[in-house]
Amino acid sequence: MIGKSHLSMKGVLLSGGTGSRLRPITHTGPKQLVPVANKPVLEYAIEDLKEAGITEIGVILGHKGREEIQDLLGDGSEYGVEITYIVQGNPLGLAHAAGCAKDFVGDDDFVMYLGDNILKQGVVDLVESFESGDHGAGIALQEVDNPQQFGIADVDSAGNVTELIEKPDEPPTNLALIGMYVFSPAVFDAIERLEPSWRGELEITDAIQTLLEDGYAIDSHVVEGWWKDTGKPEDILEANQLVLEDKSLRKEGTIESDATVDGRIELHETATVEDGAVVRGPVSIAEKTVIKSGTYVGPYTSVGANSTLDGVHIENSVVIGDSIIEASGRIVDSLLGKGANVGSADEFLPEGRRLIVGENSQLKL
Amino acid sequence: MQIITHACTKCGTIVSANELESNRVMKCPGLGCQNVVRFDDLPADDREHFIENRERYDI
Ligand SMILES: [Zn+2]
Repeated sequence: MIGKSHLSMKGVLLSGGTGSRLRPITHTGPKQLVPVANKPVLEYAIEDLKEAGITEIGVILGHKGREEIQDLLGDGSEYGVEITYIVQGNPLGLAHAAGCAKDFVGDDDFVMYLGDNILKQGVVDLVESFESGDHGAGIALQEVDNPQQFGIADVDSAGNVTELIEKPDEPPTNLALIGMYVFSPAVFDAIERLEPSWRGELEITDAIQTLLEDGYAIDSHVVEGWWKDTGKPEDILEANQLVLEDKSLRKEGTIESDATVDGRIELHETATVEDGAVVRGPVSIAEKTVIKSGTYVGPYTSVGANSTLDGVHIENSVVIGDSIIEASGRIVDSLLGKGANVGSADEFLPEGRRLIVGENSQLKL
Repeated sequence: MQIITHACTKCGTIVSANELESNRVMKCPGLGCQNVVRFDDLPADDREHFIENRERYDI
């Protein structure tokens, strides 16, 4: 039931990590704040928790992006939730992160949500499935094609987990753990008994395995809709596609009379599509952004705030914001960081591309 | 592994012992909070346990 309130269910939202696979985008901020369809990934998680009736949320902070995350989420009141910040510091593993939330959680159950994950169907079903019986934990699973590369769960006919296996050579199922969990407070006792793994981390799968060995029933819930871990640039683009495909988009901005706009478009009330521009949805265009004459914005593109697109052909791309893009070429499958500008080299001699590119940037020319 | 934390008395932000120990004395990481939090704010037992097992809290 949507909006049902769980008197004894809290949320723990993980927002640490280095974001190394998203450099250079993450040189200036945490990966959880990269926008998908013009909204930071972390906000989707907050909304999902709220939809499941969870309004007391502990946000776990690592070393990176502490201030930016607090700046965005504040005390949670703008989202109708109450946020407590929990500084984990060293990335000692998911079970360590959960353990840092012990005093916040108290005697309640809690959903643990990885803040860089985004999933179509939210966590309502996961929570209901967990609450339907006396479970020590509940895990979200999704069918994958390459189970050898995931943490895999074996489940019995009632959906109870019988075994967890990390990257098995001979997987008993193709059901992978996707980083959404519900825990009873019994997990804290299990975490206290854990030792760091070979990589020096307290592993959440070891905590669940300990609960199993202690005789707790572990519920499983197979997530049917799409799910994305947005750790890499291509994942951001794919998540952007999936969200734009599903989201209801509102056209509130200015579309001049000789502009061509079709498909579903989200256009902020302060954004403008000028005469001679072509926009084909699904597309999201954020505040104060201008699409000028001769520009083509194609499907699955999100353009962030305060940007100007002039003469470019862009599709299946995410422009985070504060950009001026004036080149006449085609930009496809691209992720442009905040304040990144793309100009034209057409009138310069000698002919050639002129780049001022930050550390860890990736270009295909 | 025992996980030790301390809650800021002003804003409620929770800080792990490894974070407190690496700074010893720090401004509370809660945004806008001016409180100072110290490793020494932890109970003596917790501090002792942490220092005896310090290498496990490093990475
Ligand atoms: Zn404080």
